[in-house]
Amino acid sequence: MAVQAPQAPAPLPPPQETPLRYQRGFRNLALQAVYVGITAFVIAYVVLQLGGREYGFGFLNQPAAFDVGNQWLTNVDGTTNSRFTMYLVGVWSTIRVVLLAMALSTLLGILIGVARLSSNWLLSRLAMLFVEIFRNAPLFVQIVLWYAIVLYGFPTIQNVINIGDFAFLSNRGFAIPWPVPDGGFWGGPDWLVVIWVAALIGAGAAARRLRRRRQLAERETGQVRHPNRWAFGLFAAVALVSFLLLGMPVSIDRPIVEGTSYAEGMGVLPEFSALLLGLTIYTAAFVAEIVRGSIQALPRGQTEAASAIGLTGYQRLTLVVLPQALRQMIPSMTNQYLNVSKNSSLASGVSYYDLFFVANIIQNKIGHAVEVFLLITVTYMLMSFLISVVMNYVNRRVTLHSV
Amino acid sequence: MKRINRLWMIALAASLALLALSACGGDDDQQQAAAGGAESRGDTIALIQERDMLKCGVTDTLPGFGFRNPDGSYSGFDVEFCKALAAAVLDDPDKVEYVAASSSARFELLAAGQVDVLVRVTTITAERDGGRGVDFAQTTFYDGQGFVVHDDSPIRAAEDMDGATICVAAGTTTEQNLDDFFNERGLTYTPLPGEGSEPQDQFVARRCDVFTSDKSGLAARIAALPNPEDYRFLPLTISKEPLAPGVRDYDSDWKDVVNWVVYGLINAEELGVDSGNLTAWASDPPNTAVARLLGVPYDGGEIADLGLAVDPQFIQRALRAVGNYGEIYERTVGQLGIEREGTLNALYTEGGILYAPPYR
Repeated sequence: MAVQAPQAPAPLPPPQETPLRYQRGFRNLALQAVYVGITAFVIAYVVLQLGGREYGFGFLNQPAAFDVGNQWLTNVDGTTNSRFTMYLVGVWSTIRVVLLAMALSTLLGILIGVARLSSNWLLSRLAMLFVEIFRNAPLFVQIVLWYAIVLYGFPTIQNVINIGDFAFLSNRGFAIPWPVPDGGFWGGPDWLVVIWVAALIGAGAAARRLRRRRQLAERETGQVRHPNRWAFGLFAAVALVSFLLLGMPVSIDRPIVEGTSYAEGMGVLPEFSALLLGLTIYTAAFVAEIVRGSIQALPRGQTEAASAIGLTGYQRLTLVVLPQALRQMIPSMTNQYLNVSKNSSLASGVSYYDLFFVANIIQNKIGHAVEVFLLITVTYMLMSFLISVVMNYVNRRVTLHSV
Repeated sequence: MKRINRLWMIALAASLALLALSACGGDDDQQQAAAGGAESRGDTIALIQERDMLKCGVTDTLPGFGFRNPDGSYSGFDVEFCKALAAAVLDDPDKVEYVAASSSARFELLAAGQVDVLVRVTTITAERDGGRGVDFAQTTFYDGQGFVVHDDSPIRAAEDMDGATICVAAGTTTEQNLDDFFNERGLTYTPLPGEGSEPQDQFVARRCDVFTSDKSGLAARIAALPNPEDYRFLPLTISKEPLAPGVRDYDSDWKDVVNWVVYGLINAEELGVDSGNLTAWASDPPNTAVARLLGVPYDGGEIADLGLAVDPQFIQRALRAVGNYGEIYERTVGQLGIEREGTLNALYTEGGILYAPPYR
């Protein structure tokens, strides 16, 4: 084919003013104007609607006139304590269940996630079943279901299951032994336990340093130095010796059944258990998928190399796979933790006095719905903010920085 | 040029927003009334007539007072008053849309205009009257808080309840009475609150030792259980619980109608008007009091219009729909074995405190 001679370009038409509606600047402005208009309208409308009422948070300082159950380490009542105190007790109840659910769902999720990738057919199928069941049923339904199982499936307190006078189980929850401060055999004051806890913290720090030192030595010399055994040994020795020196400042309190309730020991209410179980299992199903994804995202060479140098399956997992995979899953885990903290507001479905439930009681008695829901929103936002800050810190700490 | 353009745009947006606002403000005195705007005077009657339907907030889980039957219909003492009101305003007891109002959301439903009237075993208290945007009409039922235990329970008196776990409906006056009652006596307790029938379920499963609520409500719930004889009432009444219909604040025309429907049904019983003689007495009233009550002329005279914002025959319509107070009682709570004789809910002529002002 013959190459055509380049032609002179046709003369451009004389420049024409683009119509206003096609100008990018105008379009951007118009969109912004519409957005500002709608926002202004919504705000103005809401303000007008809310106009006639009186606002203020003074009502929070009045006596509560209702009592709050499921208290732990607090002892408040509606006559002497203000509504705000009751609210704080609710916040504390929320924090308890959220922290526990976060920890337990992480552990369970990692186990299930690893199990899903197991070469054992039964194990991986069971893990898949777990994920598919608990990820796909609404959380509220699960919580209410767990509660119903406890309420109707367990015996009444009159027919309590007694596990060797050591633990009890009924539909009022379970009771287990619990450590309490004690003067010890020297009859010292209760606060001796504080010294012991301080000793434990010190021992922990020392053990950490020892472990690090032996790890480094191991790396330099190539000889086995058992950093974990040494660290644990040091910690255990300090804990035991200081415990004895202080005259055993902690005793174990065994639970008893007194009338129709548990006394002494630690009683865990069915409402708390149902909520915790629901949150933990539901979140664990998601965590398991995150773990699986993070492991599968690792280059195949990592596992192969680990096998090639003769690591056992367990060593491969704990020394090569998980340390790399867990690092990657932190941003996704942050999302799950935020979900746990917000999902905990489903507590009212099972009579658990979390912050949302307590706030609802206050709102229901005195009104001020706008203020109360503002308070609830701010509290959850604060909690989410704290979780984000901590998780971002952890993320920065474990991210691999290129050398 | 660009700068002017931007300013112009913002001005345009602002004026658009204002326009939209004023347009909205124009057409909705009614909406405002429904939303309970504090300055505006409500006109719920006009709203009901325009909709041709009364929205009545009731409970749907309390047999005898407000209960949703398996076929979707509602029945109970409170429901009868909804019907009476619909008959009074719309001349048709079936023009009621029942809204199941939970104990913790009921006042918001009323304030937000989702219901016209709340007939939902609701106790009058100063706190609610003062702060909740609700106005209470005439009490329909005088109740008091009581306690139920399992029959084999060692609890026989107030002192035995020390340390007990107590099932109670969340967000109710009973929750508050409970706190006062126990704190005054220096007793401890653990509340276990729930919505709807949850406290009852928890009590039956023995999750709690005691179930507390208004006595009539307790009796109604226990009577509906498979083995009512397994439960025992404690001989205690710890509170006054006058249960009354609630309407929105600032709507005295509507409140008057609600009041006078209740008064009218009580007066009818006192005057001996019932479903049986209603038709006969409407065409030939035995005395002026009955004639006025039914809105019919007496002995060739005039119909007395007493100036309420509804048809002068509204009480007659209500009576035609549900009968007088005594008939309502017998048909609903009476069926659960809650005696009326000798209680506060008897007519004042029979030793109770039902005393309706004269209709004239």
